[in-house]
Amino acid sequence: MKKRAAPQAARFAFLAASLLLLSACVTREPFIPANLPAGARAHVELAATPFYPQKKYQCGPAALAAVLGASNVDVTADALVPVVYLPARHGSLQVEMLAAPRKFGRLAYPLSRNLDSVIAELSAGRPVLVLHNYGLPSWPRWHYAVVIGYDSARDEFILRSGTKRRTEWSARTFMVAWHNGGRWAMVVLRPGEIPASADPTLYLDAAADFERAAKPEDSRAAFDAAVQRWPQQPVAWIGRGTAEYRAGRFANAARDYAEAVRLDPENAGARNNLAQSLLDLGCPARAREQLAPVEIDALASPLREAVLDTRRHIDAAVSASPVIDESRCSPPP
Amino acid sequence: MKFVVGIVCVALINLGMAGAASAAIVDTSALVTPDRAADMGVVRTQLDRADVRAKMTEMGVDAAAVDSRLASLSDRELHKLAVDLQNAPAGGDVVWIIGAVFIVLIILELTGVIDIFKKT
Repeated sequence: MKKRAAPQAARFAFLAASLLLLSACVTREPFIPANLPAGARAHVELAATPFYPQKKYQCGPAALAAVLGASNVDVTADALVPVVYLPARHGSLQVEMLAAPRKFGRLAYPLSRNLDSVIAELSAGRPVLVLHNYGLPSWPRWHYAVVIGYDSARDEFILRSGTKRRTEWSARTFMVAWHNGGRWAMVVLRPGEIPASADPTLYLDAAADFERAAKPEDSRAAFDAAVQRWPQQPVAWIGRGTAEYRAGRFANAARDYAEAVRLDPENAGARNNLAQSLLDLGCPARAREQLAPVEIDALASPLREAVLDTRRHIDAAVSASPVIDESRCSPPP
Repeated sequence: MKFVVGIVCVALINLGMAGAASAAIVDTSALVTPDRAADMGVVRTQLDRADVRAKMTEMGVDAAAVDSRLASLSDRELHKLAVDLQNAPAGGDVVWIIGAVFIVLIILELTGVIDIFKKT
């Protein structure tokens, strides 16, 4: 066996060397200049991004501590080990990387899977946490790293990775690892911050997943930013309404839900939440009007159960005091 | 006496509010993409939670930390984990032998023998 290993290694080295020589003949387009969004800077390095050298298998906690630190959260990589590290998998899962910032009053936003969104975030001053695959698509070896900048002229990315505080990668090498890793990247946002590359669906999904673990005021800030940016999106109004509801401000909640219903009259979730808010405001008749057009049988769980619940509450309120003066209740939208 | 009545009143009002809030408002995460949330009923979520809790403990997460980790997740995320905890990508370490495979991949890419970006 050993005898055959040496010639094989030599053959491999020869192949590698000849391929390297060959590469001189192939011209490839640069990546960064071709993906530079309008207004993005040509050179960025977010040098203030903290660095935590990773311990064995723990690039997840190290990378997360860096992007949280850049968002003014004071947390070490060690403190994040019990939060995102999965011992039997020798690594950290994407879902938990996205969820962990909520513990610190931050929300994570997974970027669109193209290079220009990574560049746009860096240009806006946000380091980007990426998932790389250094194996093959069929034999993956996963690694999290933090991109802290790029140099358009040299077509290079600057990273904090593993035990390296600062390492420069050619954009092509970066792309191979990122592409084979499914082009996954995330940034950490303060509630109310909208990413530079924001896509309404991705953002509203992220804000919705943030909602339950967040304080009502943080959730409100996240959805309020969405209302300002995308006022035509019913989910933005629903989210802000729910934050208002959870803070006990039922009138504000009803106003936001009513706007969602106006934008999307078929939206049973918005109607249900509006009905519940109206009920809390002492307006069961108005609440009932909201639920009248909703077809229960067409709804999926848990919305279905919620609408049935709301109906029961309305019925209970009406039978408890059949004559309620609703003249102070605002007219239906 | 007045004081006691006051406390009871406040308690009752709080009870009513908590009941209303937990009962009938639907989480926004259940509304963003209704088709994906189709099977996210209360029972499904409870099963997911028990499933993920058991798997995580088995995979070496400290029992005390598991609940705190699960508390950060939305129902959709919990479901994703329940389905894919064993096989989802887990970013970890990079040892040199893997680096070697990667270098070959890079060389093949650079020389144009393969072009992994063709499809995009």
